[in-house]
Amino acid sequence: MSALLGMLFDGVAYGMLLFLMSVGLSVTLGMMNFVNLAHCSFAMLGGYLAVTLMNGWGWPFFATLPVAFVAAAVASIVLERLFFRRFYNAGDLPQCLLTIGIVFVSIAGAAYIYGTDQQPVHLPDYLNGSIAFHGMEFAVYRLFLIATAALVTLVLAVGVEKTRFGAQVRAAVNNQRMARGLGIDVDTLFAVTFALGGGLAGLGGALAINMLGLDPSFALTYVIYVLIVVSIGGLGSIAGTFAAAMLLGIADVAGKYYIPALGSVLIYLVMLTMIMWRPTGLFGRR
Amino acid sequence: MPDPLLSLADIRAGYGAGIVLEDVTFDLPESGSLAVLGRNGVGKSTLILTIMGMTHIGRGRIVWRGEDITAYPPHRRARAGIGWVAQEREIFSNLTVEENLTVASRQGRWDLPSVYDLFPRLAERRRHLGNQLSGGEQQMLAIARALMTNPALLLLDEPLEGLAPIVVEELAAAVRRMTGEAAGAFILVEQHADIALSLTQSVIVLERGRIVHSGPSAGLLADHAAMDRLIGLRLAEA
Repeated sequence: MSALLGMLFDGVAYGMLLFLMSVGLSVTLGMMNFVNLAHCSFAMLGGYLAVTLMNGWGWPFFATLPVAFVAAAVASIVLERLFFRRFYNAGDLPQCLLTIGIVFVSIAGAAYIYGTDQQPVHLPDYLNGSIAFHGMEFAVYRLFLIATAALVTLVLAVGVEKTRFGAQVRAAVNNQRMARGLGIDVDTLFAVTFALGGGLAGLGGALAINMLGLDPSFALTYVIYVLIVVSIGGLGSIAGTFAAAMLLGIADVAGKYYIPALGSVLIYLVMLTMIMWRPTGLFGRR
Repeated sequence: MPDPLLSLADIRAGYGAGIVLEDVTFDLPESGSLAVLGRNGVGKSTLILTIMGMTHIGRGRIVWRGEDITAYPPHRRARAGIGWVAQEREIFSNLTVEENLTVASRQGRWDLPSVYDLFPRLAERRRHLGNQLSGGEQQMLAIARALMTNPALLLLDEPLEGLAPIVVEELAAAVRRMTGEAAGAFILVEQHADIALSLTQSVIVLERGRIVHSGPSAGLLADHAAMDRLIGLRLAEA
């Protein structure tokens, strides 16, 4: 029983990270059909920035989180304005080639600056250790991770469901041409959304170091998971992305717990099953 | 003489390399109303899309209140005061009725109470999602959504198409009331030629992308021979 709960706990923590790193891609892919394989490069940027600020400059961990968010948001808007916007009508293959190129540049850049070793992260003492509860141990950092991601999710859900900005984003995802025809400046809306999504990935990257580690392959390793989350969750659906991230996080952890022989193959089986069952995603519409 | 509200001069437009409209020229005065008639596939919807900035304009100018908007992107035209009711309605299916109405609304005479007054059925369905509406309700929502942007010109692309006769009557009455009250200009593309002509001041008839007739609506409505020749459908003798 307690092993099951512990497994669920770890799975939810992992799922929260996946959600933070995926939600931006889901929305921007849904809105502009732009395949941004470099999404996790923004997450990696957030991670390395947090490490640099902590280890090099002596910043406290918490102070690095907003910086990771802002820096990744700025980086994504710069790339969007410089490169991505020229490829919105270019088709999937040119978009993939462009963004996978950016992934490799980011990997090479990170390896050049930081080397290929795992980056050490020094958390404040109160985030280390664990809390005992009914004979079970809960890692404090993972509790913190779940709480932070839950808060971000709540803010995001309210922002998307209850504000006019959110309604415009949903409208543009649903029917971009009509949104333009009613006076919504979809290009600016998209740039802002892109920045927010990149920023969330950057925040996720900074939060992920302690759980997933950080080396230059991060940008490629985790974009696979993020793409699985997006394809299961359905494009442009925040609730779907959340559900898919949880499902995947728990399935991955459970697989490694119970069937270590299958290892990380299990989540691909989960993905195949889900996509065959619901080709447009959990809450997908197209 | 004041500037016309909208003026198209020698427009050639289409999609990519394909040309659909050729030599299209007309003026629409403030508060004017224009019916666009013609058989299927003669470029009526392309004309609407061209005014919205969603086609490739190869030649000519579109002038809005004295300002050349030929190169404006669609959202700037909408913000300048052009409201669009698309042929396929294109309701945002993942938004509620009320969100569809408010998502792009702008201040003015039309607001939620006044469009709900015009279409009481939308008020009943305000919490429903766009994809839970009937065809007629979707059409009401498409019109109401465009009104909520408080346009100076409303483009209506076959608003009565594919609807049951009783709904056609209800909608035509609403359009009549709306245009009578608000005194805004509108361009109406319609297969129901008699309804379109009775709602408008002037008419153009398109054939293979060119204007083959233009004049007052009442004149064409009375001239059955011309109607038969231009549109190819004889009206039921009333």
